[in-house]
Parts: sequence; structure tokens; C-alpha cells
Amino acid sequence: MNPAEELKQLFPDSVVSVGFQIKKPLAIIKKEDLLNVAKKVKEMGFDNLSVITGIDYRDRFEVVYNFFSYTKKQNLVLKVILDHNNPEVSSLASIWKVADWLERETYDLVGITFGGHPNLKRILLPDGWIGHPLRKDYDMNVDQFVTVGEDGEDIVSTDGTNLLRR
Amino acid sequence: MKTDELLINMGPVHPSTHGVLRFKLTMDGEIIKKCEIVMGYLHRGTEKLGEMKTYMQFVPYTDRLDYISAFPNNYAYVKAVEELAGIEVPLRAEYIRVLTLELNRIVNHLVMLGSLLLDLGASTMIMYGFRERENALALFDMLCGARMTFNYIKPGGVREDMPEGFIPKLNEFINDMDKRIDDYEQLISGNEIFMGRMKGIGVMSAQDAINYGMTGPSLRGHGVNYDIRKLEPYSVYPDLDFKVCVRNEGDSFARYMVRIDEMRESLHILRQVVDAMPPAKPASLAKYGIAPMTGVPTAVSTYFPRIFTPPPGEVYSRIEAPKGELGFYIVSDGTIKPYRIKIRSPSFCNLTAIPKMVEGLMIPDLIAAFGTIDVVLGDVDR
Repeated sequence: MNPAEELKQLFPDSVVSVGFQIKKPLAIIKKEDLLNVAKKVKEMGFDNLSVITGIDYRDRFEVVYNFFSYTKKQNLVLKVILDHNNPEVSSLASIWKVADWLERETYDLVGITFGGHPNLKRILLPDGWIGHPLRKDYDMNVDQFVTVGEDGEDIVSTDGTNLLRR
Repeated sequence: MKTDELLINMGPVHPSTHGVLRFKLTMDGEIIKKCEIVMGYLHRGTEKLGEMKTYMQFVPYTDRLDYISAFPNNYAYVKAVEELAGIEVPLRAEYIRVLTLELNRIVNHLVMLGSLLLDLGASTMIMYGFRERENALALFDMLCGARMTFNYIKPGGVREDMPEGFIPKLNEFINDMDKRIDDYEQLISGNEIFMGRMKGIGVMSAQDAINYGMTGPSLRGHGVNYDIRKLEPYSVYPDLDFKVCVRNEGDSFARYMVRIDEMRESLHILRQVVDAMPPAKPASLAKYGIAPMTGVPTAVSTYFPRIFTPPPGEVYSRIEAPKGELGFYIVSDGTIKPYRIKIRSPSFCNLTAIPKMVEGLMIPDLIAAFGTIDVVLGDVDR
């Protein structure tokens, strides 16, 4: 039995469906139950959280977690489907420390909120950046300019007329 | 005695941050209480750019992620595309790919050793490291006409076959390199000052290292016997004989020694690749008619159409890059452009461990620990 089916047996109500993502066992989880399932996943020996990917499908968001177990040499993929208007899911940073930055990155670029995250703020883009670039409705035609404020903070504006290089 | 906490900014422009990275250090005297990392100075939006390029057009962008070792980047992306679309690759092309990957691993570790020692105040090693690296870059130049950004590995194979006289030059390099690594060991590994700076510095348990997402040689310095080339074999690695280099101490010195061992292992792989390289079989052009152009099969690449539309689907594919696990998550919606590309870069995830690792150390130790993690900022910020 592969780990996704195992999860289905343990949490029949939380696991919506199981399948494969090109040879890797995949389980789609209800977003409310992600934290519970994730705790069990960690107990099952999946100690490495490889990557968290947020995808904007225009009508919904998907967050994909790729796990690997160094002890069992197995892969597992978890997926949650989020509402497009209010993309929020609980954070896994308390279980896997690497999730801290991966979730911050997903928040920064895709705009998914992770509830219970210890320090959810932008990581790659400067604070105050308008919009989340990896969303499909992100407006690429608006220029954004970053200057450094008096206390060293980033100031983002869409008005570039006062910049030196103009 | 009561002391005040002091906030020190290290970077963004600091020689030992290997690019533009900023540490916000809360100091108690000389001891680091808290380390916060600020990044993004080199963010170029590569993932967004990927959504606007066709599958073939995105290959050169991967060169610019980890610019020290660009072949593994090329290969990781191309492997994901090939898995997504189920493309077969000629055996000779696979051997050439492994050749470039392992050669690039040596180059990467040379740069890492050089810059680590330079950060620690020993300027000899960077001269030696860059001297040997130059020979390897000349080989790359011969192979694909570029020294650092190659755009050589493409979906379906590689762009061109090896030029004449490449293998003798490569053999020369391998034989030379064997002696050089012994030299390096003599020069640094036994050096008392170096050991004093490295041993017992930046220690982390294996469990913590895994939990913080460390991968690659950095993780193998913590006693975790893992290598994606062994666990999920790809390309022709199953046919090659090599061992996984592991050290158990979990400190900076162990992470450094793993690099030295890996260079030797890479040379061992290169020798086998040279011996086992299958001869070039001219591909039949009859099916496609006309003159050779992109997309037409050659001895080292299968047919890859210019208008390429993989079936809709998702794939996460990863390889053992010189710095760790490099993965590409590609979502295809069946059009000529990827719907979403997510890059799981080894440098970004290895860097998460730094704040925990350097708590209670001093700033010079931060430089030593950071140097052995081996990050490239192009890879962190993407």
C-alpha cells in the first residue's frame, strides 16, 4: 500500500482523493484538516519537505507539498485546493522548519496566506510591493520603483518621475 | 555586567556573502544572539519569466540561476520537461550530460573551496582553485562555446556532439586534477589554523539539518547517507560506480571534507564515462527530409519539435546538483508555454539553517559556517 492510500485509510474524511503525480503517490486533502494530516505524515517518516508550490488556476488556488522520507526512501505529494477569493491554509512551519521560508515565498509571490505562521511577511520582494507577481491577474504594465527611506526601509511607489535616473 | 544588545548589519554588499545578501545580527558583545537574513536583492522573477517563454526558450534562463554550475540547472529543467512529455534521449547524449554534470560539480567545489578559504583570510586557495577551474571552463568553451552560461543541454539531448580532440583534453584535465586535489589537501586540510576555524563550528544534528531542509553535500556532512543519484537514479548513473561521500561530525570541517571527497568521486565517474562513451550513430534524417535545423534528430538528440506542446499535467523532478537538491515543478496546460514553473533551489533551502546554526557563535564563525553551506545568490533569489 502506498503512503497516500495509507492516509486515506487513517483519515477517510480528510482525504478527498488519492492518485499519482507521475509515479509519486498523491493525496488531495481538505484544507481544514491539513495540519492534522501533516502531523501524521511526519510520524510516518516523511522528514524532508522538498518544496511548497502555490499555483493560481484563475478559479482556485492549489498548494502542493512534495515530501520525501530519508528512512523509507518514499515520495508523497499532498495537495490542498483553496478558494480564489480567500486563499488561506494552516502553516506547517511548526512541523518542518524549512516550511517557514517556503511559505513566506509562496505568500510573497502567489499571495496565499498561511494561518499560524510565525513571521509571515515578504521575503524576495520589498515590503509594500503591490500585488503578487505569480498570480495570473498580476498587472505587468504597472512599473514599481523602490527607494530606500530614512530608516533604511523600502519605499515602493508607482511614480518614477522623481528618480535620479529619469 | 550588564550589556546592551547591538544591531549589526552585515551586507548587502560584503565580500563574504558571495553576492548581495544581508544579515541582520543582534549581538551581545561578540556573540550572535539572533540572525535574520534579508534577501531578494537579486530577484529577477525567473518563475514569472518562465510563464512567458516556450519550453525551449526557458533553457537559457536556467543558466542564470546558479551561475557557478549552470549545467545541472539546464539538466534539472530539461529532465522535468522530458518526464512531463515522455521524451527518450539517445544514450550518447546521456553520457555527455553526465560528463558535463560531473565536470561542473568539480568546478563548483573548486569555487566553493577558493571562496571559503578567502573568506577565512587565506588567499592562496582561490588562485589554485581558479587556475584549475580555468582549465575546466576551457573544456566547456570547447564543448558549447560558452564558459559559464551554456544553454547546451536541451530537451531530447544536447545541442552538439563533442568536438574533435575533446576527450584527450578531458583526460589531461582528469589526470592533472587528481594530483591537484592531493595538493589542496596538503595545503589546507591539515592546517592547524584552518582546523581551529572549522572544527566544532556551525554544528547541527542530522535531524535538525533535515528539518531545516538542508540537502546535498552540506547534509552529507551531518552523517545522512543520501544522494538522489542513488535514491532516484536518473540518466546513466545506475550504470556507473561511485560511492556517496558522508562525514559524521556535522560541523564546518565535515562539510568541507565532503566536498574534497566528492571531487575525487566525480573524477572517478568522469573516467568511467570516458571509457563507456558510446560511439556516435548518425541519425536518419529521411523521415524529416530537408537540412538539419533545431528539432531534427542528430546523433545526440531525438526529434524535438519547435512547436512543442506537452500533455497537460504536473511534474516535480529533482536532481543532485553540486549544492543540493535542485528541483523543477512544472505545470503544463497543454499549450506551448508552461502554466507554472516553480524552482526548488538548493541554496535557498540550505540557507534556512544558517540562523539556527550560528546562534551563540561569533561573526568570524558565521563566515566559516556560511562558507561551507555554499550558496550562490542567483540561486537564492531567482
